[in-house]
Amino acid sequence: MIADLPSLLFNALVWGMATFLVAAGLTMIFGILHVLNFSHGGFFMIGAYVAHSLTNWSAAMANIWGFLAASVLAGAVIGLVGLVVDRAVFRRLAHVDGAYVLVATYALLLVCNGFVKLVWGLNVVSASPPPELFEVSFIGNLVLPHYSLFVVVAGVVVFLALEWLINMTSVGRLIQAIAIDPWMARLLGVNVGLIYSATVIIGFALAGLAGGLLVANQSLSPDLAGIFIIQAFGVVIVGGMGSIRGAFLAAILLGLVDSFGTALLPQMPGVLFFVALAAILLVRPRGLIASGRLS
Amino acid sequence: MTLSPAARFLLVLAVLTAAALLLPFVANRGLVFLAGVVAINVVLGMAFNLLFSTAGLLSFGQATFSATGAYAVALLLLRLPDIPFLLALALAAAAGALAAVVIGFVALRRTEGVYFAVLTLAFAELVHVVIAKTSFFGRNDGLTGIPRPRLGPIDLAQGQAYYVFVIVVTALLIACLWWVTHSRLGRSFRAVRLDPMRAAFLGIDVRRRQLEAFAISGACAATAGGLMGPLTSIVSPDLAHWGESTKPILFTLLGGAGHFWGPLVGAVVFSAVEYGTRSLAGASDLITGGLLLAVVLAIPGGLLGLAALLVARLRPNRAGNQPSPPAIPVASTAEGAAR
Repeated sequence: MIADLPSLLFNALVWGMATFLVAAGLTMIFGILHVLNFSHGGFFMIGAYVAHSLTNWSAAMANIWGFLAASVLAGAVIGLVGLVVDRAVFRRLAHVDGAYVLVATYALLLVCNGFVKLVWGLNVVSASPPPELFEVSFIGNLVLPHYSLFVVVAGVVVFLALEWLINMTSVGRLIQAIAIDPWMARLLGVNVGLIYSATVIIGFALAGLAGGLLVANQSLSPDLAGIFIIQAFGVVIVGGMGSIRGAFLAAILLGLVDSFGTALLPQMPGVLFFVALAAILLVRPRGLIASGRLS
Repeated sequence: MTLSPAARFLLVLAVLTAAALLLPFVANRGLVFLAGVVAINVVLGMAFNLLFSTAGLLSFGQATFSATGAYAVALLLLRLPDIPFLLALALAAAAGALAAVVIGFVALRRTEGVYFAVLTLAFAELVHVVIAKTSFFGRNDGLTGIPRPRLGPIDLAQGQAYYVFVIVVTALLIACLWWVTHSRLGRSFRAVRLDPMRAAFLGIDVRRRQLEAFAISGACAATAGGLMGPLTSIVSPDLAHWGESTKPILFTLLGGAGHFWGPLVGAVVFSAVEYGTRSLAGASDLITGGLLLAVVLAIPGGLLGLAALLVARLRPNRAGNQPSPPAIPVASTAEGAAR
C-alpha cells in the first residue's frame, strides 16, 4: 500500500500546488483586509469558465501558449472585478463584525454561483489540457502526467513571484507595513486605501489565474467553487492567516495528509484532511507561521 | 392594549400555526409539501439564531445536527418499524444534542474570530464525508423508502395528517426555543455573548453556557431534521453538505438576526424566491445572494429590522413603544479589534 511512495508524494505535491494556487490570493486578502473571503472560490470558478471559453473561442488558442494567455486574461478580468468588489463591498465592511463579513462574502459566493449558472448553465463541462500537456512520462513505476507537472511548476512559480513581490518591491514592502500597522503606515503618509485596493486586485487576479491554470484539473460545474474553497480555507488557516509562505508549506503538508489519507483509508477519501485541519487548529490556532503578518 | 411578551409571542405563534394548518384547504399538494419543508427550515434557522444572536457563536456546521436527526429517525423507522414515532424523535433530539456536545467540546476551545466558524465547517464536512462513504448510512444514495409512521391511533400516511403533525411539532419547537431565549438561561447566554470576561467574573461558567447553547441548538435542529425523512421519504448525504449549513444563516440574516421571528421571515422569503424562479437556473442564487449582501451592507437588521424602522417612521408618536432596533454586534473579534 505504502510501497508506491513516489507516486503518493507526487500526488501530494499536485494537490498541494493546486490548492496553493487558489489559497494564495485568499491569504493575501486576509493578511491586509482581515476578510476571510468565501467568494474567492466563486471568482476562481468564474476565472476557470472565462479561460475555458477563451481557449474554445478559436483553434489558434488550442496550444500551451493559448492556454497560458487565456489564464492570464482570466486573471486580468477577475482582477478588474476585484476592483469593483473592493469599492462596492469590502470598503463598506471595514467596521462590520467579523461574522457579518464572513456572511457577506458568502453572499458574494451565491451571486457568483448564480452568475455561472445563468451564463454557462448547470451542465458539467469537461476541459482538457492543451495538447503539449496531454502526454504522460514514466520514471520507473511513477506515472507523471505532464499537466500535473505543469500544475506543480505553476504553483512554485506563483509562490516565487509572490515572494519577490512582497519582499523585493516597494509595493510589497508597503503591503507588509500596512499588514503590520495600518494606522502607523497612514501617519507616515502611505496611501493606505490605494494599497488596500491593490491587494484586493492582486488577490482576485490570483483567483482568476488559478481558475485558468487549473481548468483542466477537474470538470467545470457550478459546484467547483465549493469544492476548492474548503480546501483553500484549510490551507490558509493551517498556514497562518495572511502568510503566503505558511500557505505554501501548509498546502504541501495537507497535500501529504490527503494523499496518504486516501491511500490508508481508500474507502473514506478526504476524511483525514478534516481531522488534520481540526487537530492542527487546536494545537496551533494561529497556524504554522504564527506572525499574523504577511510574509 | 399592551400584552406581556409571552402573551404576544403565543398570539403570533397561534395565528401562524392556524394559518399553516388552514393552508391545505386553499393550496395544492405541492405547495403544502413546500410549506412543510419551510416549517422545518424555520426551526433550523431559529436553532441557529439561538447560537448566533443569543450566545454569539457563528456556527457553520448546523447541517451536522439536522442530518444527525434525519438519519437517526430514518434508521429507526427502517430498522425498528414498531418503534413509537415520538420516541424516535426524542432519540433523534438526544443524538443531535450528543453530536453538538462532542463537536462543541472541541470547537469551543477556539471561539475567537473566524476559527470557530471554520472548525464547525471542518467537522460538518467530516460528518458529510463519513455519511456519504458508509454503507450503514446508504453511502451517496442515502436511505430511501422511509415510511410515514403511525402515531397511536392516527395513521400519519393518510391525507395531510403528516403535514399537520409537522406543523404542530415545529410550533412546539419554536415555543421551546422562545422559552430558552427568554429564560434565565437565555439571559446568561446573552451575557456571555456581550462580554465573556465580565460574565465569568459574575460567576457564569462561559464554556459551559456555550456548550449548553450548542446542545440545545443541536437538539432542536435534530428534531426538526428528523421530521424531514418521513416527509420526503428519503434522506441523502446532501443534508449534511456545508451548503445546508449556510441556509439557516441565510434565513436568519435575511429575516433579521436581532428578531426572534427573523428566521421565519427569512425562510419564507427565501423559499418564495426559490419557488418563483424555479424555472430559471441560477436566478434564485443571484437574488438571494444579492438580498443577503444588501441586508449585510445596508439593512443589518434584516427585513424585520427594516419593517420595524418603517413602522417607527410612520408612527412617530408611538416610537417609544416600538421594539428597539436589533443590536448590531460591533466589531468584537480579534480581527475587528485589530482594525
